[in-house]
Amino acid sequence: MIEKYRRYLPAAGGLAALVFCWLTFYTVRETEFVLITQFGRPLYTVADAGFHAKWFFQSSTYFDRRLRVYNPRPSEFLTHDKKNLVIESYVAWRIEDPKRFVETVGDPGAAEMRLHDIVWSGLSAALGTHDLDSLIAPAAETVQAGALLDKLTAMTDRAALDRYGIQVVDVRIKRLNLPEQNKQSVYARMRAERERIARQYRAEGEEQALRIRADADRQKEEILSAAYKDAEKIKGEGDAQATKTYSAAYSKNPRFYKLLRTLESYKKIFDDKTTAILSSDSELLRIMMRGENGAK
Amino acid sequence: MQALLHTEQVSIVAPPTRQRGRRWIAAVIAAWLLTGIYLVNTQQQAVVTRFGAVVEPRVLPGIHISLPWPIDRVTRLKVQQLQRLVVGGDAADTVVGRTQPLRSQFITGDQNIINLRAVVQYSVSSPVDYLVRTSNVAQTVAATVETALAQRVATQTVDTILTSGKAAIQDDARAAAQRLLDEYRAGVLLSTVNIESVTPPPEAADAFRDVASARADSSRIVNEAQGYANDVIPRARGGAQQLLEAAQGYRQRKIDEAQGDAARFTQVAAEYSKASEVNGQRLYLETMEIILPKIKKLIVDNKGNLDLTIIRKGER
Repeated sequence: MIEKYRRYLPAAGGLAALVFCWLTFYTVRETEFVLITQFGRPLYTVADAGFHAKWFFQSSTYFDRRLRVYNPRPSEFLTHDKKNLVIESYVAWRIEDPKRFVETVGDPGAAEMRLHDIVWSGLSAALGTHDLDSLIAPAAETVQAGALLDKLTAMTDRAALDRYGIQVVDVRIKRLNLPEQNKQSVYARMRAERERIARQYRAEGEEQALRIRADADRQKEEILSAAYKDAEKIKGEGDAQATKTYSAAYSKNPRFYKLLRTLESYKKIFDDKTTAILSSDSELLRIMMRGENGAK
Repeated sequence: MQALLHTEQVSIVAPPTRQRGRRWIAAVIAAWLLTGIYLVNTQQQAVVTRFGAVVEPRVLPGIHISLPWPIDRVTRLKVQQLQRLVVGGDAADTVVGRTQPLRSQFITGDQNIINLRAVVQYSVSSPVDYLVRTSNVAQTVAATVETALAQRVATQTVDTILTSGKAAIQDDARAAAQRLLDEYRAGVLLSTVNIESVTPPPEAADAFRDVASARADSSRIVNEAQGYANDVIPRARGGAQQLLEAAQGYRQRKIDEAQGDAARFTQVAAEYSKASEVNGQRLYLETMEIILPKIKKLIVDNKGNLDLTIIRKGER
């Protein structure tokens, strides 16, 4: 009977050796930890990547040791000055102690639920002692978000490592926002602010425009008045020159000038509305009245 | 007989079969060894792991030898190729026309809400870290950039962000996110963080547009005033020049007239004085000839009384 199966013996031996090797040797990649358990009881963790051996009756469990980024749901927090704030954060974490991890949490999904609780309570405690303007302010100096988060990271890391074998590398605020019910009033405020700024722009433009126009008008007046001044001066020069010329000429023969100028005036003074009462004794009419004797 | 034949067949065929089998085995072994030769392309770098442990962290392009599969494994990475990531509103969504208000909303330092979308480009700086340190590189990069952006936006006023502050925010956010990624040893190099769009929320967009048009109005009004000034001042200068020219003309005219009049007078006076009696009479009479035809004349006798009724009649 045994003789009959002897020929299968080498194959069976080979198979047994293969199974033995399969159960004994294992590799560990850089991205993972291996936890060796014996009948369900965790014994030790292998962190060195490479080729390893264990007893065939021990079993190995693989854990991803890479950094994960967990995004908790956005939640609403109340700041110290009683303002509501919706904060979306992320937690960068990795498994640090697989033994503790498997004993307390088991899988990453459950771990993230625990992390959510720790981070949430940490954040709400931290925000309860900070005013809104320590997170949001137009000047970077007053914002203490970095210090707050560093403290929160350290606190979360301590709690998670002790309890769950998790290393929390970083807790950061990804997004700050206001609750939906507050947004309408924020929009209204933003609109009012914009309207104020728009009005200011328009008024400033008007101011500048008026200034430019007034300046232009002033310049115009200045230019014209200066020109008037110069022009009158020039005219005066002309008049003076003319007067000088006239007086030089006329003073040589004042009697003739008087005669000539008076006769000239007569032409202008007398027109068709003038009625002249001439005495028959006058120079002009004497000849008419008295004949040739009048010429004397 | 059958058994005999069988053994004969075996004895005849066996030697070549065994030889062929050896050749096959040799060929298989050779082929297996050949899996240890691998090629890294120009844009690539490779990481070699032996039983999962990294033995060659950075293999440069070229042909290389390692231990055959599955002892050594080669992972090639396109190191220089830029990978693109959208932070804020999802790019695909804006194409379709939907918006994700919550995803793209940021709150500014002066507590305004703005919508912001940034595009991140990154490449691999350390192949080993890239492969080994983080479980989801893209997600990590997105989270760090978003954090950096939110932090910068929370310390700026909305006007700065919408106008001049964009470039500074981009640079700061890139540097801050890079610091975080280095801290996580993600093996990633952020090449750019580019804020593609930053807009006020639709609920207040019209008010923001009005500010822009107010700015335009303001500069239009100023330009118009400038135009007025540019019109008025040259005209005034022209007018001034006109006044001066006219005055100069007047001066010249006065002088010339005076000289003319004087010359005429001097000549006439010279002749007059040669026979002043006669010339005086002549001038007097000539003038009377011009004047008297135009006017009404009443001639009264020297001794007689003046009857004024005649004048009244004449006036009527």
